[in-house]
Amino acid sequence: METVITAFLTILALYFGVGLLFGLYFMLLGASKIDSIMRDSKKKVRLLLFPGVVATWPFLLRRLFKSQTAD
Amino acid sequence: MGLDYKLVLWNKHKKTYDKIIALGMVLYLVLFIALTLAFNPETIAETMIIRAFGSLAVIMLHIILVIGPLSRLNPQFLPILYNRRHLGVSMFLAALIHGVFAIIHFHTLGNVNSIYAVFTSNMDYGSLTNFPFQVLGFLALLILFFMASTSHDFFLKNLSPNVWKGLHMLVYVAYALILLHVFLGAFQQETSVFTIGILVLGFIVISSLHLVAAFKESKVDGFKGEKDTGGWLKVCDVHEIPEDRAKIFSVGKKRVAIFKYDGKLSAIHNVCKHQGGPLGEGKIVDGCVTCPWHGYQYLPHNGQSPPPFTEKVATYELRLDNDMIYINPIGLEEGTEVEPILC
Repeated sequence: METVITAFLTILALYFGVGLLFGLYFMLLGASKIDSIMRDSKKKVRLLLFPGVVATWPFLLRRLFKSQTAD
Repeated sequence: MGLDYKLVLWNKHKKTYDKIIALGMVLYLVLFIALTLAFNPETIAETMIIRAFGSLAVIMLHIILVIGPLSRLNPQFLPILYNRRHLGVSMFLAALIHGVFAIIHFHTLGNVNSIYAVFTSNMDYGSLTNFPFQVLGFLALLILFFMASTSHDFFLKNLSPNVWKGLHMLVYVAYALILLHVFLGAFQQETSVFTIGILVLGFIVISSLHLVAAFKESKVDGFKGEKDTGGWLKVCDVHEIPEDRAKIFSVGKKRVAIFKYDGKLSAIHNVCKHQGGPLGEGKIVDGCVTCPWHGYQYLPHNGQSPPPFTEKVATYELRLDNDMIYINPIGLEEGTEVEPILC
């Protein structure tokens, strides 16, 4: 059981670790690339969205790739 | 509706609801602490905080879960539905305080990582009565974090409505985990009949309301109108639809709302593009179909949001024959203009 717990918590930590990196990218550059409306949004809005970006980064990363392919 | 993301979508009414939420939370906490001090004065501060915020989160979750079916059964509850998002985030904050204090109180004194300790301090996973209930609470809190952190229109748009809705439907998984967390915790720590009784009552109320609301909606989905020779579906008498309101029908496996306004009739797809709200439960405001959930608007004759907004829903052709409304069950492309019929 300990192996399962260790594996689960390691995956969770990795998921949120990558999410934190993606969240930083979102704050600095990625927000307006994912959604053009974000271009005019205030910094506070990006800060508010930060936890959700960390949580859902695979979906937003996919959207980022899609928007870059469309460009 | 908006062309820019706001920090929080507040208006006069939402501010009032938020004040009621904050006041209710403070009153509950004060009452809980006062009663604990009166009847159980030896309780230490950390335990009081853990129990006060934990029980507050559970009560708020119950309120959140009954708002949906109540507003489907009675439109008078719709204004509460508009503010469910803020109630959900407030509930998560209460649950977070409960969880953080519990982890600090029970798992930070050892020499292993405190999150790891939540999962390993009690390894009796095979037992029903001694199951490590804190793990269930942790998993529920994780789900609530995903939900609360994505409670913003940015995520609704960029995760896609389907993914967003799916993510937020996990509230029922969180509810099940929380029920087990509290049941097992109550069994293992205090064997409180009162706590278990309240939870059972809450479960009965929530499941009954969902069943009644589902039964009501199944009547709409079970609608089977007569078809004429051209394949058009006979739906209802024109007088059955109140002015500036709609009646909802299940047409070709989709729900369609037929609106009556200014002596005219128009039909559009019943599902709002914002959060899937039931447009047919809304009304005509300033010439637009207005979603009862968050006020998104559509022009009834073409299903398009008025400029500069860009949302579109499918439209349907109607025909009136001796006061009887017929609808072409084949929907048109989203945003297609259809000449309203006069009634």
